[in-house]
Amino acid sequence: MQINYGLISVDDHVQEPPSLWTDRLSKSRWGDRIPHLERTAEGCERWVVDGQVLVDGHSGRTGALMADRNREPNRWDEVPPPAYLPSERLKTMDAAGMDYSVLYPTVAGLAGEAFGRLEDPELELACVQAYNDWLIEEWSSASERFIPQCIVPIWPAEATVAEIQRAVAKGHRGVVFPSLPMNLRAVPHVSGPEYDPVWAICEELNVPVCLHAGASPELQYTPYSGLAPALTEALDAVTKPVSTVFVISLFTFSRVLLRHPRLRVILAESALSWGMLYMEWADHQFEHDGLASEGYELKPSEMFHRQCCFTSWFDEVAPFVQHVGAEHILWSTNFPLTTSTWPRTQETIHQCFRGVSAETREKVLWKNAARLYQL
Amino acid sequence: MEIKYGLISVDSHAAFDRDSFTSRMPVQKWGDRIPQVVEVEKDGRRVNRWAVYGKPRGDNVGNCPALMGDPFPTYPQRWEEIPRTAYVPRERLKALDTDGVDAEVLFPNPPGGAYFEFGDKEFEQDVVKAYNDSLADWAQTSDRYLPLAILPYLSDPQIIKREIERAKVAGHRGVNVLGQMPKALPHLTDPYWDPIWGACQELGLPIHFHGSANLRAGASVRKWSGYSPRQAHSAMTATSAVTPAQIIPQLIFSGVTERFPRLKCVFAEAGIGGVNYALAACDHEWECRHLWTEGITTRPSETVRRQMYVNFWFEVEGIKLRHLIGIDNIMWESDFPHVASFYPRSWDSVERVLEGVPSDDRRKVLYENALRVYQIEATVPAKNN
Repeated sequence: MQINYGLISVDDHVQEPPSLWTDRLSKSRWGDRIPHLERTAEGCERWVVDGQVLVDGHSGRTGALMADRNREPNRWDEVPPPAYLPSERLKTMDAAGMDYSVLYPTVAGLAGEAFGRLEDPELELACVQAYNDWLIEEWSSASERFIPQCIVPIWPAEATVAEIQRAVAKGHRGVVFPSLPMNLRAVPHVSGPEYDPVWAICEELNVPVCLHAGASPELQYTPYSGLAPALTEALDAVTKPVSTVFVISLFTFSRVLLRHPRLRVILAESALSWGMLYMEWADHQFEHDGLASEGYELKPSEMFHRQCCFTSWFDEVAPFVQHVGAEHILWSTNFPLTTSTWPRTQETIHQCFRGVSAETREKVLWKNAARLYQL
Repeated sequence: MEIKYGLISVDSHAAFDRDSFTSRMPVQKWGDRIPQVVEVEKDGRRVNRWAVYGKPRGDNVGNCPALMGDPFPTYPQRWEEIPRTAYVPRERLKALDTDGVDAEVLFPNPPGGAYFEFGDKEFEQDVVKAYNDSLADWAQTSDRYLPLAILPYLSDPQIIKREIERAKVAGHRGVNVLGQMPKALPHLTDPYWDPIWGACQELGLPIHFHGSANLRAGASVRKWSGYSPRQAHSAMTATSAVTPAQIIPQLIFSGVTERFPRLKCVFAEAGIGGVNYALAACDHEWECRHLWTEGITTRPSETVRRQMYVNFWFEVEGIKLRHLIGIDNIMWESDFPHVASFYPRSWDSVERVLEGVPSDDRRKVLYENALRVYQIEATVPAKNN
């Protein structure tokens, strides 16, 4: 590992190219159910898998790289190269002052959720494996500064476990798990023991489980339909991080964290400033409802402090660091989404870390991530 | 009103007497659709429930565990189990004295504050009137009660506006609003509702969003079958931490706060921390998307400080960060007589949460801000000043 700039961004997104799945899935077997770009009557190009439109009908999500940040590309030739070319991405990382970048998908869902909505588990697995193979072949092999994370088929658990084993053997460093699989299709509740093999394999292989905000849009307040697109998108961006509260609540009170004490959970795109209240409230409620007598050996905040991290990109750190703990905050740039701090990444960091000690700053900006991803 | 103790709860729940609705709604018109206490069978036992529109609702006939003693929390199953302190205004004043509370803002208790679900506009109008009249009687009994009106959502906004005006005259101090409108009605921030926000702004009535505020987000998470009732309660309740973080951005980015810059919005039983997030996140998106070019001219954090208020009751850490939102925007609540209440030892909890907080700040969050927000005329003895 080499740190030149002092930043490991733990949440960035790759843009999958048009040929990713068509090159890797059998045309004779899957036909046009394969994820591909489809041209619409209006001349736009949108991603489609098995008849489902992805990426809200856009060709990509690259707002931070667009001349007008409130626009997304609607044809592939509008997608800026740093979104999909590793060599161009590295240049942007240098310009942003970023040493390493932990990668999440875009077409496969910002939280790796898109293929979980497919009703056909075989097609789901084929799409997932193609993405996982491609990320290693095209990005990891281009530079060790890219930290690849696999996506997974959500069910059955044996398939999830097998894909995690296969992907980690290939070089994946984290597991992107859509946090509420039962909201994607008819599968068991994520709190149940049915998923224990999934958490167990992550413990065994020592890879973090990454629960990225936005896996289930119904957890967010739907904006008024009469708003301009820029305002609708802003509302989506603001309500997405806090939807994580429902996820951390499930993982805490259902005892997933207690059953799997070595499971490490990264709450990607969670933001930071609401988290302190959640932790204080969960502890308060735990005590007020008398849950100590119901078989929990740790309070919610103790579970969090043993196993979880919040991920921020715009919050002021100083007010929250003492209660949340410097070891439990990670930093990201969210590149190349509109909410990204690019191109003001360093300026934003400067503002967000006012009044923070050098030691804490190093932990949040790169040391915690280096430890979690074993760099 | 006299400030004797130096403590106002801006979120408590008034219970209704069993004839609150039957004595105010015409029986020949509504029959057994009028909210009333009925007897039903549950697990082989005859129990009471509030019935509305002929349908029994809820798992209890009253929500007042703070008054029920051990085992905690106990919810009354029969009407006679409910202590009169919960629903007789004069009796309840003694409880306020026991707890050292000067005044309380009154939110709903069973049979509740939502009557739109039957799709019967006329019924909703009548029951809302009865509800608002019943709570207005509390204010007539004592100026220590500060009731909040509810709204007949199914009616034309001009009719709702008239109900708000009527409620103000009757003694209501604010309006309790759903965080998300019923699906069949326009969105909360659709200009359709502007007459309501206009009326509340002009009359100086703050609007209130309470707890989870009936947001569909929380309801979309299927309850896990492995929870005990208390575990399910903890898992659900703590997620209210983000209610303001979901609603405040809607009010700001849809232009409601631009159109009604003097409308006050209070977030009850939601905690301070969710507002801290709304401040930071809205500012970030406003800047990176240049939303001033989309008609949102005021920086969101300025809007929050100008118009948003938030309650606290247990947050030690949240109070330490009181200057993020601003000391003028935070008020204490007890939630009496609900499960979150520390009654009859509210002051123990106040002292614990406010340990080390200077007296100027203490007075603001314990009662001065409430006097200002609810436009209460009060005398404050020198010892509290």
